[in-house]
Amino acid sequence: MSGRARILVGFVVAAVVLGLVPALRERLDFPTFYLIFLFTIFFWVSQASSWNILTGFSGYFSFGQGAWYGIGVYTVGVLVGKRGWPFLVAVPLGGLIAAAVGLLLGVVVFRLRRLSGEIFALTTLAVAFVLASLARLTSVIDGGTGIFMTGTPLPGFLGDYTTAMYRLTMGIAFITVLAAYLIHSSRLGWGLFAIRDDETVAAGLGVPVFRHKMIALGTNSFLAGLMGGVWSLQLGFVTVDDVFNIRVPLFVILMSVLGGMRHWMGPVVGAVIITTLSDRLNSAGLADVNQIIIGSLLVILVLAVREGIYVRMRDRWLTTLITFSAVMALVMGLGLNDSLISDFAYSMVATVLVLLIPDQAWQSVRGRGPGPPEVEANEVAGATP
Amino acid sequence: MELLAQGIASGVLIGGLYALMSLGLSLSWGALKIINLAHFSFILLSAYLVYQLTVSFDVDPLLTLIVVVPLFFVVGSLLQIFFHWAKLDEFTSLIVTFGFFIILQSMMRTVWSADFRRIGSELNPYGTESIFVGSIALPLPQLLAFVVALVIAIAMTFLLSRSYFGKAVRAVSEDLEMARAFGVDPRRVAVILAGLSTAFSGLAGVFIAVGQTIFPGLAVGWFGIVFSVVILGGLGQTMGALTAGVIVGMAAGAAAVIWGPLAAPLVTFLILIAALLFRPEGLFSRKSTA
Repeated sequence: MSGRARILVGFVVAAVVLGLVPALRERLDFPTFYLIFLFTIFFWVSQASSWNILTGFSGYFSFGQGAWYGIGVYTVGVLVGKRGWPFLVAVPLGGLIAAAVGLLLGVVVFRLRRLSGEIFALTTLAVAFVLASLARLTSVIDGGTGIFMTGTPLPGFLGDYTTAMYRLTMGIAFITVLAAYLIHSSRLGWGLFAIRDDETVAAGLGVPVFRHKMIALGTNSFLAGLMGGVWSLQLGFVTVDDVFNIRVPLFVILMSVLGGMRHWMGPVVGAVIITTLSDRLNSAGLADVNQIIIGSLLVILVLAVREGIYVRMRDRWLTTLITFSAVMALVMGLGLNDSLISDFAYSMVATVLVLLIPDQAWQSVRGRGPGPPEVEANEVAGATP
Repeated sequence: MELLAQGIASGVLIGGLYALMSLGLSLSWGALKIINLAHFSFILLSAYLVYQLTVSFDVDPLLTLIVVVPLFFVVGSLLQIFFHWAKLDEFTSLIVTFGFFIILQSMMRTVWSADFRRIGSELNPYGTESIFVGSIALPLPQLLAFVVALVIAIAMTFLLSRSYFGKAVRAVSEDLEMARAFGVDPRRVAVILAGLSTAFSGLAGVFIAVGQTIFPGLAVGWFGIVFSVVILGGLGQTMGALTAGVIVGMAAGAAAVIWGPLAAPLVTFLILIAALLFRPEGLFSRKSTA
């Protein structure tokens, strides 16, 4: 089987397995909480992967994730919460409006010759605050009162609320990751990587840089808005402060940096790790410490594993597998935790710690001298100048 | 007419504060190629320190300058040494300093809680004081900030254009290897400049503590204003930052009078977009600053 076919089969298998979980819940009677945990992971996988399509692939650093997400939330909030539109009509609209705003910003900033990367980053940072003040000012959108989303009617075929959320978020997460994979392995992806490495050279070689960047930005904002629309239900009560804050951009950056921004799987791995960790810290009552830990992780990871944990995982796949299953077996055997998620979190942290060992130290532990670093074709193309 | 004159005067004065807040970021971005987002939390941290020192030791809030400004100079220098050690480029610096921003924000929220804090009027003789020119009131904290910003902008312009240190800074920011070949120690230059720009942020924090109520969420709200000022003024250009600060201050002030205070960020952003469309290299640069 070719690499491409293998990956597509992997997608199908993952979709079937994860798709069966809600049905299994009725059979095995495990707590609803597991389902909520899983769809939180879907949410973040989708947010991080869509962010990475723009920033990881093209190198244009975006703080705009919160803005695109927020547009989705508020589109559904206004149309469904205030005017009673059907939910499944409003959600795609949220994605489209987010994409429209994103592309508008792109038209302004991507035409700049100098410093467009830095200015893009900072403008996207400002967009969320501007949208926040716009939402506060206009009573059509919010007007400072907030919008109640509880009791929104959902189409019956999706099942009860938790199951419906699970199916919707899972669907969008799969679309996003699939999009990231398809772009990564297409001409568009190669064009974006060329832009990331040296935009002037890319343009000189005939890459349509402006169009490529616009497609990446449009895809990113559309998918982020789409998921935002679905997530408005989970928020329950939509307020400006809750939606347009620094949390979403912070987490997607962290997840992608941790997992690795050069590969489409990186943000998926990062999202699973950070969501699990964050969930456990919060349930242990350490919500305040959580942010400090997240911030420190960001600093340490950028300096320690620039290529991201996913690349290390692939290079040391056997170690990853052994460490993870050994710790998992140990923790489960000892019965330390009452929850499967805690067991999972412990094994994951242990695995990440093992993977954090620098390459050189790793080679000497294994009794080999520091050999030439293994690089993939993709990364050779993506090596920073 | 009087309302308009008052509005313009307030705008000009608040512009001085905006300039003071933007100077540090502008210098570190323009000359050191580090987009230091931690500056926002440094400003707020300085404001909290001033608040704490004033309340705990019962001193004049402006006297805390003696402690706060050198402290931030040291912090900025140490941070720059760290950046050198870590060999950050512009984009990594954005991520790393964003991490610092988050850490400092959470720490401030833990130490001082999310409550609104203001130095009590019995300790703060400047807070409610105004100087009247005719019938126009000039609030003292903002007037002081404006004067300080003006002095710093002029001093920095001279320092950067006339002194040996200034030449070294320009040489390093233009061509690091060449500067090194001519005997400039780029590390030392960068450490001093980073110290200075952080000290300016500390200074801005002093006037914020004196003039207004502080709370942890304040720093995030500064992003739009400060970036508009930095880009409008041109990277690393101190007089440009001052002029841009005044323009943004006046526009935001006018918007607040006409449409209410919530409209100010919107207008600031529109100015930023306009600036990007028509003068991406800043309003006042003759040639490329990139």
